[in-house]
Amino acid sequence: MKLRTYALPAVALLGMVAAVHTVRTSDRHLAAAPPIAPPSPSPFERQIAGAGIVEARSENVAVAAPSSGVIVGVSVTEGQKVQRGDLLLRLDSRSLEAELLQRRAELESARSELARLRAQPRAEDLPPAQARVDASRVAVEDAQARLALAEAVTDRRAISTEELSRRTFAVKSAQAELATAEAELAKLRAGAWASDLAVAEARIAVSKAACERIEIEIDRLSVKAPIDGTCLQVSARVGEFAMSGSTTPLVLLGDLSRLHVRIDIDESDAWRFRPGSAARGFLRGNSELATELEFVRVDPYVMPKRSLTGDTLERIDTRVLQVIYSFSADAIPVYVGQQMDVFVDSPSGRGKQ
Amino acid sequence: MIRIALRMLVGDRLKYLGLVAGLAFATLLITQQGSIFAGFTRRSGSWIRDTAQADLWIMDPQVEFTEDRKAMLDSALLKVRGVEGIEWAVPLYKSYVQARLQDGTRVVVRMIGLDDATLTGGPPIMEEGSLELLKQDRAILVDARDVDDGLRLRRGMDDEGPRELRVGDRIDLNEHETVVVGTFRRTREFFWDPVVYTTYTRALRMAPPERKSLGYVLARVKSGHDPREVARRVEETTRLRADTSEDYENRSMDFILAKTGILPNFGITIALGFVIGVLISGQLLYNFILENQRAFAAMKAMGASNMLLLRMVFAQVLFAAFIGFGIGVGVTAVVGLLLHDSKLAFHMAWQVPVFGGIAILVCCLIAAAISIRRVMRLEPAVVFKG
Amino acid sequence: MTTTAQRIAVSCRGVTKTFGEGENAVHALRGVDLEVLLGQMTMLVGPSGCGKTTLISVIAGILNRSAGECTVLGEDTSSLPDRQRAAWRGRNVGFVFQALNLVPTLTAAENVAIPLLILGVDYKSALQRAAVMLERVGLGGRIKSLPAQLSGGQQQRIAIARALVHEPRLLVCDEPTSALDHETGHKVMQLLREVASREDRALIVVTHDSRIFSFADRIAHMDDGHVERIETPSRA
Repeated sequence: MKLRTYALPAVALLGMVAAVHTVRTSDRHLAAAPPIAPPSPSPFERQIAGAGIVEARSENVAVAAPSSGVIVGVSVTEGQKVQRGDLLLRLDSRSLEAELLQRRAELESARSELARLRAQPRAEDLPPAQARVDASRVAVEDAQARLALAEAVTDRRAISTEELSRRTFAVKSAQAELATAEAELAKLRAGAWASDLAVAEARIAVSKAACERIEIEIDRLSVKAPIDGTCLQVSARVGEFAMSGSTTPLVLLGDLSRLHVRIDIDESDAWRFRPGSAARGFLRGNSELATELEFVRVDPYVMPKRSLTGDTLERIDTRVLQVIYSFSADAIPVYVGQQMDVFVDSPSGRGKQ
Repeated sequence: MIRIALRMLVGDRLKYLGLVAGLAFATLLITQQGSIFAGFTRRSGSWIRDTAQADLWIMDPQVEFTEDRKAMLDSALLKVRGVEGIEWAVPLYKSYVQARLQDGTRVVVRMIGLDDATLTGGPPIMEEGSLELLKQDRAILVDARDVDDGLRLRRGMDDEGPRELRVGDRIDLNEHETVVVGTFRRTREFFWDPVVYTTYTRALRMAPPERKSLGYVLARVKSGHDPREVARRVEETTRLRADTSEDYENRSMDFILAKTGILPNFGITIALGFVIGVLISGQLLYNFILENQRAFAAMKAMGASNMLLLRMVFAQVLFAAFIGFGIGVGVTAVVGLLLHDSKLAFHMAWQVPVFGGIAILVCCLIAAAISIRRVMRLEPAVVFKG
Repeated sequence: MTTTAQRIAVSCRGVTKTFGEGENAVHALRGVDLEVLLGQMTMLVGPSGCGKTTLISVIAGILNRSAGECTVLGEDTSSLPDRQRAAWRGRNVGFVFQALNLVPTLTAAENVAIPLLILGVDYKSALQRAAVMLERVGLGGRIKSLPAQLSGGQQQRIAIARALVHEPRLLVCDEPTSALDHETGHKVMQLLREVASREDRALIVVTHDSRIFSFADRIAHMDDGHVERIETPSRA
């Protein structure tokens, strides 16, 4: 009796307990997975959020090949500190060196030519000319003697007038002969012509300049550090062909004494930015690694946003104001090229100033 | 007298059991259907609840529900981060992509891309592997439970038969090869397509190129700020839609309900349960009172006031309602426990038993109201008539 | 010995009762004059439809009279509002119905306890008092029995116990023996005389069973809505 009376209420109560249990268990939803790293929290009450990329203080110097050529030597490694003027790498210079040899030979030849000109007259050429002068002089004397003989004969029958005039001409002819020989001897004695010498000297200068140009060009193939800094990236390998004008630098140099972060601020937020505002940068992946940033400058040209995702198909959708802040390289373990979440304080919030 | 009333009811086994059974059946119908309805509506928001790291969901203003893809410009993320009261904000990608399994099985999957640095918004429970493994190259996570319907090697490789996906398997997503590095469990959703998780940038690489790619921005509100107020501020400054998780869940649910006609379908069944409850309990209760009307009349003659009789009848009705409801809701609950985590969308929200109880109560009160008039009008003089 | 005036429980003068109106009006009582004394058993006898039941309904405060005067235990019940009249009935009147009207799903004790429970006595003490009462009517061993498990005479005793459990000053019995055989009826009437009769209680028994007339102190013969005559049978 008792059991029968209380059986149904008991079942009903049990049912309700089951319902409460089911309600409670089915209301339980799966707990949300915690992010593996907490996202960067914004440190200011009102702020401008920007994506920043870390770069060296000097900006990143991309050292490129001065001309195309095969790389024959790389004398730096990544991370190596270099002084301005230190050799970074060398390109193949053999063809230029070959040309230099040729140019040098040409210079030598020009020099010999000048020496040759300078060495004139040849000593061996003088005695025959002197002899010819002497012979001519003897011939003049002989002719004069014959004329004198003839003139001494008063008898005009013994010596015809014709003979006399002939002897007179013979003297004049011999004298002319002598003058010629003497002139030739004098010309011989005077040596090379000055203009020829000038031409020869000019030719030497041209050859010398050509040699120097090639030497400079050979020197250019030894790429040297333009600044003091650290090798951030060395993509040159011995044996590779370096294209001049290629976009990938052979060596990326940067001055890491202090790091800069280049922050993209959306153009729609640009009006809120005040130069000199406080800013805080968070390392992606660990929002606890954060550093205060020091204002450096604003690039006053609002440029198309460079996508950081690197997808070439991505199109430019906004323009950004680039703002540069700096921070100490020791502040956080960060590398050049790394992205940061940056929050810039925007105390004014909204409205005009 | 209440005790006497109950003893009267319980003593009449046939009617008592009939009444209880009728009410239990009505309760079962109402709460069962109500639970399944609640299950469907709740499933429409499973993903939002599973992704509970965020307080706010920022999306294109035209997004209607969770599977709606209307992407925003990438710059929206930074704009959201700049809004006062936002603690943090991360991007989230979600889109349908074509998947091709190693054995050639082709499936459409939902690909979710998580913020690369923090992997915020990941699946709730990892079965194998860990969320961090997503940082590996070409890594994806697949649903451990979808294996039996969605992401499953249906033909099987070489000589082995169909099998589930496991860590190390390769899947082509939009012709990009990916590697399964882990499996996860999530709450079942209204939509059935399998889900894969990867990182945001990888998702962008695999997705067809689009001008706009950012599906959602998930944001956390700084403590001390009212999420709705911050949401309003986000909407004002970004011209995007910002919902709290709760609001987005409701909006998504409303849209699905409106589009699918689930509401009238279940509404009809629930109304049917209600009508059956009223009919059965009304009929039996009326019968019971009719049978006992001489006893009631005698009591009236013996000095019982109408108020007392009213109380007695209500006690009987409420008792029957209690028993019937308890049994009905208990059966529903047990069925619910057995069906837990199955394909059937069963969710016994607290509203289901509460409103089910109210419905049974109302239906009993209607039944009682019909019968009570007889008792009230009863002339005690009838007792002297043989 | 108290005076007659003090001993009058019910006093009716020209009581009429009409059911319905106009042509359909039924005149159940056409001017009844009756006095019922405390300490006595008054029997109302007469043919069916003579108005006996209507009269006891009026006396017991279940029906309102149409005209005349009727004072019951010093109270004119028809002047009371329904609620108070019900409460008055609960306190002062005990009923033994012709059909008994026992609740079939309740035990004997529970059935007996009903008047007490209506009066607001708590369940436990009501049941104790009901048990005592059942003892007095000789059913001490059947407290937990259901009416259906008992014989007609036993059921009638339960009904009597129920009518007396709250110590009413007026006991109204409607055909208490009609469903019983002669012997049982006799026993029931004996029980009534033994258990119910008290100096400060009036008993009204409606019956047309002439075999029990001998139990009455006074017999009022009714016919057609009138009390024809009152006789006082000589007691054995």
